[in-house]
Amino acid sequence: MTVVNRSWNRLSLPGKIIFTALPVMIVLAFATVLGIILLGGPVLDLLSHNLPVVRFVVAVTIVLLMTVPTAFLIIYMEMKIIALMNLRIGPDRVGPAGSLLSVVHGLKVLMKEDFTPTGADPIVFTWAPVVTYLASVMTLLVIPFAPGIFGQDLNLGLLYFFAIGGLSVVGLLMAGWSSYNKYSLLGGLRSAAQVVSYEIPLTLSVVGLILLAGTMSLNQIAQQQSGWFTDWFVFRQPLGFLIFFIAATAEANRTPFDLTEADSEIVAGFATEYSGMRFGFFFFAEYVNVFIISALTVTLFLGAWNAPFQWPWQVTVNLDPGALGIELLILFAVVPLILTLAFAAPIWMLGGARVKGWMALLGGFILANLALGAIVVGIAYIGFEWVSGLLWFLGKTYVLVFTFVWMRGTLPRVRIDQLMDFAWKWLLPASLLNLFVTAAAIVVFESVKAS
Amino acid sequence: MSLIPGLGIAKGMALTLRRFFEPKVTVMYPEDRRDPPHKFRGRLQLLYDEWGTLKCETCFQCAQACPIECIDMGGMDTRGRFHVHWGAPETYGERREESALRRSGRTVPDPAYLPFAAIDVTRVDAILEEYDHDPAHMLQILEATQVAYGYLPVASLKRISQRTGAWYAMIYGTASYYGHLRFEPAEASDQAAAVAAHRPPEADYLAAFDAALAGAVKRGRGRTNPGTAGTPGDPTRPDR
Repeated sequence: MTVVNRSWNRLSLPGKIIFTALPVMIVLAFATVLGIILLGGPVLDLLSHNLPVVRFVVAVTIVLLMTVPTAFLIIYMEMKIIALMNLRIGPDRVGPAGSLLSVVHGLKVLMKEDFTPTGADPIVFTWAPVVTYLASVMTLLVIPFAPGIFGQDLNLGLLYFFAIGGLSVVGLLMAGWSSYNKYSLLGGLRSAAQVVSYEIPLTLSVVGLILLAGTMSLNQIAQQQSGWFTDWFVFRQPLGFLIFFIAATAEANRTPFDLTEADSEIVAGFATEYSGMRFGFFFFAEYVNVFIISALTVTLFLGAWNAPFQWPWQVTVNLDPGALGIELLILFAVVPLILTLAFAAPIWMLGGARVKGWMALLGGFILANLALGAIVVGIAYIGFEWVSGLLWFLGKTYVLVFTFVWMRGTLPRVRIDQLMDFAWKWLLPASLLNLFVTAAAIVVFESVKAS
Repeated sequence: MSLIPGLGIAKGMALTLRRFFEPKVTVMYPEDRRDPPHKFRGRLQLLYDEWGTLKCETCFQCAQACPIECIDMGGMDTRGRFHVHWGAPETYGERREESALRRSGRTVPDPAYLPFAAIDVTRVDAILEEYDHDPAHMLQILEATQVAYGYLPVASLKRISQRTGAWYAMIYGTASYYGHLRFEPAEASDQAAAVAAHRPPEADYLAAFDAALAGAVKRGRGRTNPGTAGTPGDPTRPDR
């Protein structure tokens, strides 16, 4: 046994990993720096000359990447909120308050056998979840999350949204058709019937809003709702909002219209034969759909990124830390120390004999970090429009997501004939009425204004 | 359907939102082991001491206390002289009482469904003849029968069922529905007497009712034997 062998065997597992990875990382870091120095200028030039392409690639990557944690978060919300409404505790083992349970679920799905039934059409069978998932994810490209933060400001954004969102039906039908299972096929047809039926009132309920806004660009629709919350379109199109919300619930296959999935009754309909990550994609697509539908409702009716109120006075933050020069470094070094001591002092003085010095210091450190974080977020909120916009947008969206979960915790499932009756006999006439009334009101208003 | 559409949905949503904030009922089992419920007794088991002999001393207290008679014991007494089984018989009698039966969920024996003693059916037949064997007059038939026998013997009910063609269950239902009809002689049951002692108005009322019935039957029909009307302690009481 050589010396090298013996030394290697004496290393623990983390030691082996670090021993192997560290040199590789050092070499990679040097190579990256060298590459940036040598090729940085030309590459940046190339990228800046093809900004739309760069923007598209970055947007698609970010959108694809953000759907995964979003789905995890919404799955966790669903488990936890419904549990709390059932007087249970819900997930509480993995991570803080069980928040990593959905991640563990994702890993579990990844590890499961990816099974293709005999007789299935393997190509269509494999592509069906991809189509469904991508149809959901691609709609995110036109959603304006904050001023300046959107994938692409299409002037036909809303039309694009409905067109691409409607593609998910194709995925469902593909899944049902290629499974070589009559129950899957029936489930696929059922869900296609439902989604196609609700597509019509969903789209029609927005036409009144398009007439009012005069544009189909989601970005401009969002800009038109700035000001107080009374400027939001929900107050100018209440019936439209109601129809849109109900139809969107059906469109996202959520309770009380989740006949296609109906976990408690049928074996997930079109997804009967799916397992492993291919099923996981359907599952993910469902929860991404919830987020997307909520985001679109917020964008169209609930003021998008606009805050519901305006500051009565103008608040501006004019910080120029660069002006401090070398003192900035001293500030960075000293301020955390001073803040920690400042927060630790009252704990130590008020705590009495039971609080030891290190406890007070730890508490002071945590409190100081919280205070600094709050200050930073506050400054960012005031100073950067996109930060406040993003906070408001995500806040409203997750309130709507909570509403969807809340509905799932409350409402029973409707029957398939009630579902179809409701779409064709109630929602469609109501959305047409909304459209005609809105159009008539606009005509009257315009003529009065002109005369 | 309520007047305002969607009101039920709103109510349900409000309910779930209230539940959302209420304290939770989950017991975190492995960490938090609650005491068993007050009446929990676990599994019944004969325990051995460290020398391998039974800890049971055959004192029968458990068997006596058991409300559902699931403990049955037999064995030698503590000195190993006499074979004992079931303990002292007199302590078990009270477990057969109707209140104990009801308390422990067992079926309470009903004289109407037990083997019954034969009676002199001529009086029932006479009453049935009077009413033309018509089951539509069941209440009058039963009342006249009670006047004739002092109570409603099971044999008379069977006879009525046989002759009128009415179901026995229907007759029994009619008879058990009315408070003034009884299946036992008036003072045969100690319980009835105790109840009557506690409730003199009801006893008075029932006595007056019996008298009125006897009078009405006597006046209206005249065939009923007044001597047997309301005779206490009829010898043909059903055998329990």
